[in-house]
Amino acid sequence: MELSPSIPLVELKKAADRAPGLESEVVELFDELRGPLLRYLLSLGLAAQDGEEIVQEVFLALFQHLRKGGGRNNLRGWIFTVAHNQAIKLRQRAAAGPGIMNGGDTLDSEPNPEEQAVRNQHTRRVKAVISALPEQDRACLSLRAEGLRYREIAGVLGISLGAVALSLERSLARISRADGRRQ
Amino acid sequence: MKPQHIPDSDLLLEADGELSAWRAARIRRHLQGCWKCRARKLELEASIADVVHLHNDLAEALPPAEGSRARLRSQLPAGASLALGKLTQAATAVVCLMGAAWAGFYLWPGRPPLLPDSRLTPGVALPVTAEALCASEEAEAPPVDAAVARQVFGRYGIRQPAPRTYEMDYLITPALGGARDSLNLWPQPYASGGWNSRVKDALEDKLRTLVCSGQLDLATAQRELAEDWIGAYRRYFRTEQPLMDHFAFVKDRPWE
Repeated sequence: MELSPSIPLVELKKAADRAPGLESEVVELFDELRGPLLRYLLSLGLAAQDGEEIVQEVFLALFQHLRKGGGRNNLRGWIFTVAHNQAIKLRQRAAAGPGIMNGGDTLDSEPNPEEQAVRNQHTRRVKAVISALPEQDRACLSLRAEGLRYREIAGVLGISLGAVALSLERSLARISRADGRRQ
Repeated sequence: MKPQHIPDSDLLLEADGELSAWRAARIRRHLQGCWKCRARKLELEASIADVVHLHNDLAEALPPAEGSRARLRSQLPAGASLALGKLTQAATAVVCLMGAAWAGFYLWPGRPPLLPDSRLTPGVALPVTAEALCASEEAEAPPVDAAVARQVFGRYGIRQPAPRTYEMDYLITPALGGARDSLNLWPQPYASGGWNSRVKDALEDKLRTLVCSGQLDLATAQRELAEDWIGAYRRYFRTEQPLMDHFAFVKDRPWE
């Protein structure tokens, strides 16, 4: 079969020539961000297996993005944005049930020694509050806990900086009230 | 005059370094003189610590990264997937014209195939001769123990594999002297694009025929499977894409 004249073979070769270095770069980014990304996806209520699948897709997409000469400005934000969008799509498709921070059983299934009872009770209270937060608030908290700045969070979730600030303030106030630190 | 307290929103913005230097300095000066605001800031920090502890607990629930990293590496071909993506665009136009549904599957491999990782699955062969192997009828590949299968899935970062999605494949097939060793096993999807387990089974069949007819030595056949089975398939079947007949080629039983 003859290729369509619109396919730039020279461009393909150039892209292929760039690939070996890119592979190492993508794997380095994977090593750095796989954990934070997976924790974020779990906090959205995804199962670990689904999270792993999305992580794979995100880094494959990153490889293609970089190979095509895509922008390198704030790759962390790019990675979280793609993962977030994939997670939302997956949840819409599968109408996924609650996940770990959303009432799942992973944390509760761990050994629960008596000396940790108080801490566990406290953790359960905080967990319950976070589970009851609107999804956007949970996402803001989780992204901030992963070290993203407000501007990056706003970019990932497609909301304003002010909305990020309000969301975090609201969520932390609820946690504080639930723990009896505040009326 | 009653002192103006700092609103929670500003306390948080200051703690997160999101304010201008001038406003941040103003808040810090206020905090030095105002216990009430400092107490509120501590409450805020305590809530942040709660979130962080809970978030860190999630880290303990994560599967190890090794298998996941190996899987990613195996799917990062140097040049292949971009070329396939571009070729797919051209092929899709032809496919639409032909109106043949099977062609979409044939020419559109979708995501790159899951490949065996040589560090996780180097391939292990038994010390047998071609004569001994070919003297008997090809035996069915021995079933893989579920615990061993779980171990192999774990190495590749696959948790709770969906039933009938993967073949637990002997990289070097026992029909060509492959050993019943977990280092000779890898999870091969039945239907991950074009290069799936059925296609590899067809290659294994071809190589055994060649070995048993004296056209190929056993060590080469084993090496072809262990090093680059897709490349070997292309060479032995003289095709760039899997042959349609081989999509339905069934030899090995599901690992379940």
